Amino acid sequence: MAAENRAWWAEPWLWVEAFAIANLGFLTCDIYLAHSVNGFRRTAEYIPLFFSAIAPVILIGALLLRRRSRAAWTDLGYFVGGLSIVIGLTGVILHLDSAFFYERTIKSLTYSAPFAAPLAYTGLGFLIVMNRMVDQNSEEWAKWVLLFTLGGFVGNFVFSLTDHAVNGFFHPMEWIAVVASAVGVGFLITPLLMQVTRGFISLCAGLLLAEAAVGILGFALHAMANLHGPSTQAWKNFVYGAPPFAPLLFPNLMLLGMIGLWRLREFAGSGAE
Amino acid sequence: MSFRSVFIAVVIAFALILSAFLINRARPKTETEQPGAEFVRASGKCAECHSRTQYSVVHEYEMSRHAQKSVSCLDCHQPAQGQEKKDHNGFVVTSGHLTAANCRRCHEDIYQQFARSRHAATSWAAIYGEKGLTPEQVSFSETYQPGGTKRPPHPFVTGEGAAAMASGCEQCHSIGKPNPDGTLGTCTACHTRHTSSVAIARLPTTCGQCHLGPDHSQIEIYEESKHGVMFAAQEKLLNLNAEPKDLTTRDMFVPACATCHMSGLNGVGVTHDPSERLSYFLANAVTEKRPNYAVAQAKMKQVCGQCHTASIVDPVYQRAEAVVQATNEKVTAAKAIVDGLRKEGVLTGPPFSNPIDFVYFDFWHYDGRTAKHGAFMGGADFVQWHGNYPMLRKTAELKQMADYLRRDHGGRK
Repeated sequence: MAAENRAWWAEPWLWVEAFAIANLGFLTCDIYLAHSVNGFRRTAEYIPLFFSAIAPVILIGALLLRRRSRAAWTDLGYFVGGLSIVIGLTGVILHLDSAFFYERTIKSLTYSAPFAAPLAYTGLGFLIVMNRMVDQNSEEWAKWVLLFTLGGFVGNFVFSLTDHAVNGFFHPMEWIAVVASAVGVGFLITPLLMQVTRGFISLCAGLLLAEAAVGILGFALHAMANLHGPSTQAWKNFVYGAPPFAPLLFPNLMLLGMIGLWRLREFAGSGAE
Repeated sequence: MSFRSVFIAVVIAFALILSAFLINRARPKTETEQPGAEFVRASGKCAECHSRTQYSVVHEYEMSRHAQKSVSCLDCHQPAQGQEKKDHNGFVVTSGHLTAANCRRCHEDIYQQFARSRHAATSWAAIYGEKGLTPEQVSFSETYQPGGTKRPPHPFVTGEGAAAMASGCEQCHSIGKPNPDGTLGTCTACHTRHTSSVAIARLPTTCGQCHLGPDHSQIEIYEESKHGVMFAAQEKLLNLNAEPKDLTTRDMFVPACATCHMSGLNGVGVTHDPSERLSYFLANAVTEKRPNYAVAQAKMKQVCGQCHTASIVDPVYQRAEAVVQATNEKVTAAKAIVDGLRKEGVLTGPPFSNPIDFVYFDFWHYDGRTAKHGAFMGGADFVQWHGNYPMLRKTAELKQMADYLRRDHGGRK
């Protein structure tokens, strides 16, 4: 189906753009909570906060301009996407610098600032840039979207492992997120390695729905743990306790993965590969 | 759907899960084997911040026996009974300094020994009397250290002022300071804070932080003694880190202060009451035998016997007891001079308002004590030149001052 013949809600690029804008906006809250742990001790910690607040406004503005000037939409997207990539990569180095560079042990990696977290910005930056550089009607576009979803699940695997290691996996349920994200990685990597059938894509879609359910369960468990946290102040329990938004990355990635699978389905075979 | 795609997906997923289990299994037990999730967090999260702000604190802890035995920061810093709490970056910790209340949760027997000792309430009362102590603490202390706690504040508290007390006497005597949580003192006075070290507590220099100077010159006497000389020469050959219950003369073949006064050498019981093996109140002006004189002396001789035969130990005690007797006679005579002046109305006013008060105070408080301590600890120079010689000189001074005062008093009449 040609792009110009589709209704707006059937445009995959628009959903990816909306996904990126919503995620960047939501990161404002997430970063505020995450860097509150540190009391925004270093000025650089404000950079992602302000960027997350401003970037969605620029991207929405670009989106509104797109009908009149596609170049403006593209250039503003490159600008925001490029900045996002740089902020993410710099963030990884700064997070590792918090402790890991001094000792370079698994322990310092576990207890330092989550080193992979800033890669959310890098992933979103690449997504924004890719959405402008690759034809949404191509198989390549679908695979890129799946690759970024896969990146998210790799992140989920690392986060759920290191974050719950801080807790010593004291509650066995903490392993659910690790197992779920590992399964997510295993299934999402396969369409990138080989030609898959629509049946397998349907299986992946079903799996993503299950992943979303895991995320919602995790959100509830984190919230309950924080409501019964050691501090007398609920805010402090949420800042220093289980990261409340982290499990929501599962349903979030389910949305992105669904967009990728939706497009990939058009290029998949119906029988055996 | 092909088998190949499902196979690849399942193998990759399983490999990731397996690697996660293996990585987690490789974590040290000090981190994972904790009584609660918050204790696991404390085993690394505290250090993540504090290694940047107070590196030495974290480094000292990491070298400690506590760290080896999986005692995390929160084990000690969690509020003990009677302590105020505060939120601290996701942890609930005690709001003030740690006290003996935090240590006694694991070391109750040791705390009880300490509480009975002169390091506890008696030490504090030596400056401030009963002030700050509860009636129960006074009563408890008096049971084991009669007359040590039920006493008025030292005259120097008003004479020298609060600032001098806070930065002077109190720095040492706070080893028995009453805490708001109902306990006395802090164990870190000897074991230091984050090292929680047995080795540091065994060092003579640790005791010497407070047991020094003209009024309690134990460290100087020790350094002069054969024990001190040998320790200085052979310290590096000693096993200062030996487990207290297993300590032998192979570990400490040269004694530090703690070896004789507290340690459980070769199976002798360990004690945190440093006066448990002392048979005399040497710090008093006129020295008397302690109520447990015979038992205490037998215990100390048992420790001496780990390295020396009775033919060496007994004469030391005989000579030292003779010095005690002689010093008592000299102090009694000096006291009679000053008491006589007061009785005659020649000497009036509060304590420490006349130069002769200071001469008499130095007589027993400096010279008398030094002579007695020197005699028991093998410090010949301190028995003679820092003890008996100044006493002889001050006896003459006291007599002369008394004569002048009487003459002056008569003239004024």
